[in-house]
Amino acid sequence: MISDRQNRILSFIAALFIFGLLVSFIIYMYPGRADFDLTKLYPWKNIIFKGWLLTIFVSIIVLILSVILGFLLYLLTNSKILVLKYLGAIFNEIVFGSPLVVFLIIIYYFIGIPLHINNRLIVGIIALSLYMAPYMKNVFEGAMESIDEMQYQAMTVFGFTTYQKYRYIIIPQLLKIIIPPLAGNLTFIVKGSSLLNFIGVPELYNQIVTAQSSTYAVVEGYTLMLIMYLIITIPLIRLTRSLEKKVALWN
Amino acid sequence: MELKLHNINKTYDGKDILIDINLDIHDESGIAIIGPSGAGKSTLLRLLSLIEKPDSGEIHVNKYDLNEIEPEEYYKKIGFVFQAHTLFPHLTVLRNITLILEQVHKKTKDEAKKIALDLLNRFELSEHIHKRASQLSGGQSQRVSIVRGIAISPEVLFFDEPTSALDPVLTQEVLSTIIKLREEKMNFVIVTHEILFAKKAADFIIFMDCGKIVEMGHVDILENPQTDELKKFLSNVFLW
Repeated sequence: MISDRQNRILSFIAALFIFGLLVSFIIYMYPGRADFDLTKLYPWKNIIFKGWLLTIFVSIIVLILSVILGFLLYLLTNSKILVLKYLGAIFNEIVFGSPLVVFLIIIYYFIGIPLHINNRLIVGIIALSLYMAPYMKNVFEGAMESIDEMQYQAMTVFGFTTYQKYRYIIIPQLLKIIIPPLAGNLTFIVKGSSLLNFIGVPELYNQIVTAQSSTYAVVEGYTLMLIMYLIITIPLIRLTRSLEKKVALWN
Repeated sequence: MELKLHNINKTYDGKDILIDINLDIHDESGIAIIGPSGAGKSTLLRLLSLIEKPDSGEIHVNKYDLNEIEPEEYYKKIGFVFQAHTLFPHLTVLRNITLILEQVHKKTKDEAKKIALDLLNRFELSEHIHKRASQLSGGQSQRVSIVRGIAISPEVLFFDEPTSALDPVLTQEVLSTIIKLREEKMNFVIVTHEILFAKKAADFIIFMDCGKIVEMGHVDILENPQTDELKKFLSNVFLW
């Protein structure tokens, strides 16, 4: 008899093997396979690597900024002042309704250029952060709702001051609850950052496109791009899942 | 304990929940509030514990005038146990108790820990001190909530249907904890639908129906009810 753990490992290897076969078949069917050669991109390795680093850098900055913007948006949409509430709601609807690439280009032309923000990187970071803000707002909303109403009453009747309530009860719980969805949103940001290519930010996508146009290694370029994105995103996805499990246990 | 209520009224959304409640109780240590759902029992308890304020009228609990006292001051004198346990999920059982002692009641870390450990030991919960609420059964969580309520040595402990979310076995477990409190002469006011338990644990019964106190008195009134409402209520309950 094999143990549960062995069964899992064997099944995973089998799945990888089947997946590998499928990929091999697709490559076999691909007419240009004889010319397929990743080493064509080798002379561009430094530029591509720099683009990859910039993708990571942009994603982290956008994560931080969008958390702040998302929290402000949360305050806005939950405000008792109706004008503020509606302002937040209008922004939410526009973002949820727009494709990211269109939103980025619009921000670049209608906000970046008139405000004379010449640095494309900065415009890109601002635009992506604005786009992510409503998603972050949802994270905060979900977290606040997950704290049971009874807990607030309990805190009050135990005599906690407002500061103590936040310091010892609410914020520690919120932090734990929001970390898994934040990690999930970071994956979304990494993928979304590829669209900054369209406003000329020299991130991974952009740099590989540049390399492609000189080397004509188009298919190789996209293959490498996929691999390099997966190197960032798969660990993030795994991390998100394990964090989710931990928080579920704790609840 | 002393409870004095004078012409208490409370409405929600234009609906009368409590109508002209008057009470004057001296020297009773266990008070049970019973009655059908919607009678206003829980609302009355929330007014007594100053979670809410009445629309009109005066409430005195022991020497405190609830119209005068700062809520934060009053909360330091009382304990409250809710329908479902309200243990803070991110803290251990022990920390749930010591946090309040340290932050609100200004005990040192060592004092707080000693009080908590003594109580948890006395209520046979010491094996759970490092667990979180999610690792406890419903009965255990509710018992920890009770320990948390008494840890601050309150003058009065309020219970709002503490077993309504539990199955019969766990209910027994919690009820015997409360009976233990009675043996120690702890003052408490409990809203409950467990009539047999009320009989055993309380000295004084308040029977409410439709926002009014219909009948009240020594626990004997359960044996010998005077009003038709209480007779009807008890006959329905015992049919179960």
